[in-house]
Amino acid sequence: MIDGLGSTGTTPLHRLPAGVKLAGLAVIATVLFVVREPMVLTAVAAAAIAVALSTGRGVAATARDLALPLGLVAAIGAVEWGLGDGEVAACVVPRLVALLFLAHAVTLTTSTAELAETFEAGLAPFERLGLIDAGRAALTLTLAIRFVPLIVEEAREIREAQAARGLSIRPTALIVPLVVRVLVRAEEVADAIDARGFPPNKNSNM
Amino acid sequence: MTTRDLGFVALFAALIVALGLVPAVPLAGLPVPITLQSAGVMLAGLLLGPKRGTAAVAVVIALVGLGFPVLSGGRGGLAVWVGPTAGFLFGWLAAAFVAGTVAMRLDTEAHAPGVRLAGLIGGAILGGIVVLYAFGIAWLTFGAGFAFPKAFVGSMTFLPGDIAKALIAAFVTAQVRRAFRLERK
Repeated sequence: MIDGLGSTGTTPLHRLPAGVKLAGLAVIATVLFVVREPMVLTAVAAAAIAVALSTGRGVAATARDLALPLGLVAAIGAVEWGLGDGEVAACVVPRLVALLFLAHAVTLTTSTAELAETFEAGLAPFERLGLIDAGRAALTLTLAIRFVPLIVEEAREIREAQAARGLSIRPTALIVPLVVRVLVRAEEVADAIDARGFPPNKNSNM
Repeated sequence: MTTRDLGFVALFAALIVALGLVPAVPLAGLPVPITLQSAGVMLAGLLLGPKRGTAAVAVVIALVGLGFPVLSGGRGGLAVWVGPTAGFLFGWLAAAFVAGTVAMRLDTEAHAPGVRLAGLIGGAILGGIVVLYAFGIAWLTFGAGFAFPKAFVGSMTFLPGDIAKALIAAFVTAQVRRAFRLERK
């Protein structure tokens, strides 16, 4: 799943600089939570879905990528609606749908290297103040974004394996193996980074 | 911070995000979809220790500000940073730090198994509930202008779920540490 993300391509969104995409996402995310017009939010959600599909990822693949969070959004909408807050549901659902598809479009069309470079450039002022090591902080942010889909996928696999064996799906039964896998993978990632000698440790605080 | 620490911080931040995106266990009789995201925050402190646990939470908060839908149910954006519930978001930093500090003191070889488990549960509750709610309710009252009783009572509706999550975080920590040796820092 992870190799499908941040892949190369030539769509307009791929060619847009990462800084523009990240700034745009931040602005739209902020505006979306201020707007309280169901019609406007629904239009934005439709546009967001169109933007996500313009990346060439395909309808089926995109639906699979976002199935779990979209299921949660549907549940939230159903609860709001069930509580008699149809108006709230009409705002919450399109708002969250828009944000999920737009953020997915950004991660789909931006390579890991480009993402890290952009974060590093954005964090440079804080490095000049002596607050952080911009290169390492940017790498941490980028790794976190890249590994979310992988961990969601692993959670799904663990749950399916346990369901297949007829085990009850208790929270600890899901999280314990998931956390162990995450810790093991974190060590592998650290080794891979060290093997490539990146980024140089400047002995400053993260 | 070593590269290994960087890996733990980044992947634990990703785990906290993932736990907010995966619809968690349907609890009988509870209509609200529950995620284990706040249990992930307590886990970060309990497992990684105060410094790295707080760093993992800081990464998640940064991703929220960048507009990524990383909070439970897909919320994100700078609006969350300044919204009425911002105290609960930034309070996560203190929650992970306090949980990690308590765990580092009490969950050691020097203590009896009972003390160790009590330390994990106590750390999760002190950080993830007492300290977190103090931040959350303070911001609801002074930042968002809710009357204190309303802010307090409203927050208390989350208490049963959060107690369950603190217990989950503590038991998961004890079990994971049997499978994976990890020093806290």
